Amino acid sequence: MKSRVIVITSGKGGVGKTTTTANIGTALAMMDKKVVMIDTDIGLRNLDVVMGLENRIVFDIVDVVNGNCKLKQALIKDKRFDGLYLLPAAQTKDKTAVSPHQMKNLTNELRKDFDYILVDCPAGIEQGFKNAVAGADDAIVVATPEISSVRDADRIIGMLEASGLNNARLIINRLRSKMVKRGDMMDINDILDILSIELLGVVPEDESIVVSTNRGEPAVMETTSRAGGAYRRISRRLIGEKVPMLSIDEENLNFVDRFRKILKLAR
Amino acid sequence: MSAALRSVNGEIRVDMRSFNTFSEIKNQLEKKLQRIDSYVLGTLVTLDMGDKRLSSKQVREIEDLLLDHGLHLRELRSNSKPREEEDENPFGDMPGYSDTALICRHLRSGQKVFCEGNLVILGDINPGAEVVAGGNIVVMGSLRGLAHAGAFGDERAIISAYRLSPTQLRIANHITRPPDGEVIVVSTPELARIRAGKVVIEKLKI
Repeated sequence: MKSRVIVITSGKGGVGKTTTTANIGTALAMMDKKVVMIDTDIGLRNLDVVMGLENRIVFDIVDVVNGNCKLKQALIKDKRFDGLYLLPAAQTKDKTAVSPHQMKNLTNELRKDFDYILVDCPAGIEQGFKNAVAGADDAIVVATPEISSVRDADRIIGMLEASGLNNARLIINRLRSKMVKRGDMMDINDILDILSIELLGVVPEDESIVVSTNRGEPAVMETTSRAGGAYRRISRRLIGEKVPMLSIDEENLNFVDRFRKILKLAR
Repeated sequence: MSAALRSVNGEIRVDMRSFNTFSEIKNQLEKKLQRIDSYVLGTLVTLDMGDKRLSSKQVREIEDLLLDHGLHLRELRSNSKPREEEDENPFGDMPGYSDTALICRHLRSGQKVFCEGNLVILGDINPGAEVVAGGNIVVMGSLRGLAHAGAFGDERAIISAYRLSPTQLRIANHITRPPDGEVIVVSTPELARIRAGKVVIEKLKI
């Protein structure tokens, strides 16, 4: 199988790029794919914390591109899944420590050993963004149903297109179905109308994300998490499976609720 | 007095120049037609109206009358200028520019397009995107960003869009924005132009 380099970006900060990267990476590894996640947010690294691998960092991405260590030495193997690796960012440097050219070489090097290379992009449109998209084949744009987030996503999609990534797909994160129903939140169609790109999935607002992030265990590992379920479906779509989009109501049901619903239908 | 009726190359020409009112014209035509029932079905008819003008309703009446006799109206000749048609053309007063650029994509936030002449965009203009043209701007999608037509001061320039909901509109040196707090949902194409020194938005009638 040809390996894919997928950049996960959003423009705006705090919409869930890192959470998305951690969950999709873990879900792909759960499906027996070989996955490496690269944190390109040099100076503000988070992905290692979300994955619960912070205390294992010895070398980082800057060490790799500067030749201080071998690539294999910097890769951190996940404690739960065999095929899952993390290449952490440096915390003591800044974005200029890596160049787009170096990033491209790095991703090409990783293609040899991995099926999926997920690049967690920093917020903003400067050097960090340019580094993250340098070696990418595909892009996932994360947006929350807020005007500011959608505006920034639009800008980012334009910049992705300018750098040759015309197949960006959208994840709408932290959707609150009750607010949408009341008309207090942008709904999916409003967002798709403006961004006009393919929808990869919708992740509902879920408090369990905060818990799992703090514990360093991605939500996809919990079968009862609503957001985790959404990320599992997104990951299956990513590997080419046809997974139907759920309506907001269904997206909101957790595993137990859905089981109850099926029982009710059967009765 | 009666109408002159001639047959030219298998077509019928009727001279109506000597009649003034519509009822006179209609009566005369009816009389004449009763005599020419022997013509081939589908023969074309041209009416010479002289200085008179007919409303579209009157034209339809004449067409119906001719159809009753199996004839088709080919043309209404008239010396007066077709005033009505000019009024109906929304682009009648539009200034001409030789240079026109066609953009076949969405313009996203942060993207900007400039053309010295006209601009036609086959796509949306999203909030945060800018289009500036020396001439007119036509958007075959939703205009949600900023558009500036007549950038060199041409007040006759127009901006039209399939859905016009801009953050700001500029024509020549006039700047307008949608009123605060009001959400007006319009689901028809619209056109913005300067009338009496103000930017006005009107329904695009084509």
